[in-house]
Amino acid sequence: MGQSDIWTEKYRPSKFEEVVGQQEILKRVKSLVQALNIPHLLFAGPAGTGKSTLALIIVKELFGDAWRENYLELNASDERGIDVVRQKVKDFARTKALENVPFKVIFLDEADALTREAQQALRRTMENYTNTCRFILSCNYSSNIIDPIQSRCVVFRFKLLEKKDVSEVIKRISEKEKLTLSEDVFQTLYESSEGDCRRAINLLQATASIAMDINSEMINMIAASAKPKGIRVVLDYALSGDYVTARDKLLEVMLKESISGTDVIRMIQKEVWNLQIEPEVKVRITEKTGEIEFRMTEGSDEFVQLQALLASFVLAGQGKST
Amino acid sequence: MNDNENLAEKYRIERYSDLIGQDKAVDEIKTFIKEFPKRKAAILYGPAGTGKTSLAIAVAKENGLEILELNASDLRNRAKLEEVLKPATLQQSLFKKGKILLMDEVDGVTGTDIGGIPELLRIIETTKYPILMTCNDIWQSKFSTLRSQCKLVEMKALPASTISIILKNVADKEGIRREPMFFTQLAIKSQGDLRAALNDLQSYAYEPISIDLSEKRDVEDTIFNILRKVFKERRDFLDLYDSTKMSLDEILLWLEENIPKEYKNLALAKAYDALGKADVFRGRIYRNQSWRFLVYQNIFQSAGISYSKSSPLTGFTKYEPPKRVLKIWMNNQKLERKKSISKKFARLVHCSSKRAMRDFILLKPVLQQAEIQKQLKLSEEEIEFLKK
Repeated sequence: MGQSDIWTEKYRPSKFEEVVGQQEILKRVKSLVQALNIPHLLFAGPAGTGKSTLALIIVKELFGDAWRENYLELNASDERGIDVVRQKVKDFARTKALENVPFKVIFLDEADALTREAQQALRRTMENYTNTCRFILSCNYSSNIIDPIQSRCVVFRFKLLEKKDVSEVIKRISEKEKLTLSEDVFQTLYESSEGDCRRAINLLQATASIAMDINSEMINMIAASAKPKGIRVVLDYALSGDYVTARDKLLEVMLKESISGTDVIRMIQKEVWNLQIEPEVKVRITEKTGEIEFRMTEGSDEFVQLQALLASFVLAGQGKST
Repeated sequence: MNDNENLAEKYRIERYSDLIGQDKAVDEIKTFIKEFPKRKAAILYGPAGTGKTSLAIAVAKENGLEILELNASDLRNRAKLEEVLKPATLQQSLFKKGKILLMDEVDGVTGTDIGGIPELLRIIETTKYPILMTCNDIWQSKFSTLRSQCKLVEMKALPASTISIILKNVADKEGIRREPMFFTQLAIKSQGDLRAALNDLQSYAYEPISIDLSEKRDVEDTIFNILRKVFKERRDFLDLYDSTKMSLDEILLWLEENIPKEYKNLALAKAYDALGKADVFRGRIYRNQSWRFLVYQNIFQSAGISYSKSSPLTGFTKYEPPKRVLKIWMNNQKLERKKSISKKFARLVHCSSKRAMRDFILLKPVLQQAEIQKQLKLSEEEIEFLKK
C-alpha cells in the first residue's frame, strides 16, 4: 500500500533516465558525473522543478550505495548561522571520501536565504575545502547569490516544468497507486500547483487519502481548504472603515494558520488587484505594500508594519490614499 | 546596596517560572528529566549570561535533587573525572535524595585535560543520574561525539526589552534609582548577556545619581498619563518617556493598541505611519546596537503620532493594555508542535522546515496516517496534535 509512504520521496527519481523535464541540464550534468569530476554547481530555479532531486541523483551515481556517508545536506533557511554551516562543513570535510571519488558532496539548499556576509564566509569555506568537498548550491533566484560564489560555480538554470512533464509524473504515480483520475485532473493539478511538482504530488496524495477515484472538483476543494483564509475578510473590514475588527481578524488569521508577516504581505499584494477600488489607489497601495515588505526583511516588527498598511486600506475604502 | 555580594549571584533564580524568556529551553529540560534515562545527559548551550547554570540549578530545586557540581576551576582530565565524577554517578546520594551532576563550562575541557572528553563519554554511558553540561560553543569539532550522545538544549540571547525589565526589578529591590533610559541603554549594551548587564548595574550603582528633569519631577507617570499627553496635551515630547519605568518598546505596544481609540481615517493612517517609522528605527537599533537611533524612535513615537491630526484631541478616553503579546504567547505553545513535526518531515523529504510549515494544512491528511507517523518517529504529543 502506497498509503504508508510520502509520495514525493517514494517516487523521487533516483536515476537520470527517470527525470522529466530539464533535459538540457541533465545531459550536461551526466557527462560531468561520468568523468567523476564535478565542479561546484549552482542550481537556480523555482520550487519543485528538480533541484534537490538532481543533487541526490548525482551523489547516488558517484558513490553508489555509499552515498549517505559521502553526502551532507544542509538547508540554509533552517541553519541558524554561517558558523553552524562552517562547523558542519568542517566536521564533514575532514575525513576523506570512501569510494574512488576524491571528494565528498555538500548540498546547500536555499542558499539565497544566507545574508551577504554569510555568503562571503561561505565563499572562503568553499575555497578552503575545495580539494575534499564539492558544493552544490540551490536557490530560487541566482541574483540573490553574490558574484564571487557564482563565478566559482557552474550555473544551471532550471525552468518551470511544463504541463506535460507534471502530467507525466502524476500519471506514473496514479498507475502505481491504482488511482482513477478523470481527464481534467491533470490540468487542475498543474494550475493549482503553479508548476511546482512537489506541490502537485502533495496535493494528489492529500486528495487520495480521501478517495481513490479522483476528479478535478475534489482537487480544487482540497487545494482551497489548504489555502490560508480570511485575508480577504480582513481587507474588506478595513475598506469598510472598521479598523479594529480588521486588525483583530488579521492577528487571528496569522496565529491560527501560523503564517508569517511576509506570507501575509504576499497574499495582500495579490489580493489588492481583486478589490473594488480605483486602479490609481491600487497602485499607491502596492507601493506601500512593497515598502512594508522591505521593512520586514530589514527586521522591523511584522505586526506593527501590517497595521500601518491596514490603516491605508481604511483610507483606500474612501477613495483616498496617503 | 548594603553588602558586596555580586548582584548576578544574589538574584540567581531558583525556579523555572523565574527564568524569563527561556520557555523553550525549560520545556526541553523538563522533558529530558521526565524521560531519563532515555537520554543520559543534556548540554545547555548558548551565549554567556543567558541562564545556563541557573537553569541547571533550577532543575535541582524543582525536583528536590542534590546537585554535584564540577566547574572550570576543577581539573578535568581523565584521572580526575574517574576519581570524582564516576563514583558519584554510580552511588546513592546522601540522605537517599536523588541527584544530578552539573559539569559547568565544558568549553574549558582543553588540551591539558588529557582524555577528558572520552572519559566523559564513558561516564555518560554508565551513569545512573542525569548529567547536565553547560557550554558556549557546542559546534566545536572536539564536541562532535558528545553532541550525538546528549540532548542539546539551546539558550538564546535575551532580547534587550527583557533584560531591561529584569534590571529595573533588581534595581527596585536594591534601591538603585535611575532614569528609565539608563536601563534600556544598559540592556542594549549587554547584547543579551544578563550577567554582564547586572554587573554593569552594580558598577554604576555607587555613582552619584545625576539630577535631571525626570528625577526632579520625582513622580512616576502612569502609562495612562503618558498616552494622554501624546494624544491630547501635545507637549513635553522630548522627555515624555523619561518619566516612566516602562521601556520604549513596551510603550510602542500600548500606542499600537490604543491609536484606533483616538484617530479615524486619515489621522489613523498617519498615526500608524509614524508608529511604523518608529519601529523601523527600533529595528536598526537592535540590528546594529546603534542606540543613537533611539532619539528617532522616540520622536516618531511621540510627536510623530501626536501630529497625525492638525488640532489636539480633547475629552476622556479609556485606554486599554496591549493584548497582542499575550495572544502570541498563548499561540506559540500550540505552534511548537507544528514546528517540530515540520522539522522531522522536512528532513525526510529534503526541503526546509519553513516550506513544510507553509504546506502543513495540505500535508495534514497524509501526516495523520499511522505508518507515516512511525516513519517520522513522531512523539505522542505530536501525534495528539495532529488529531486536532
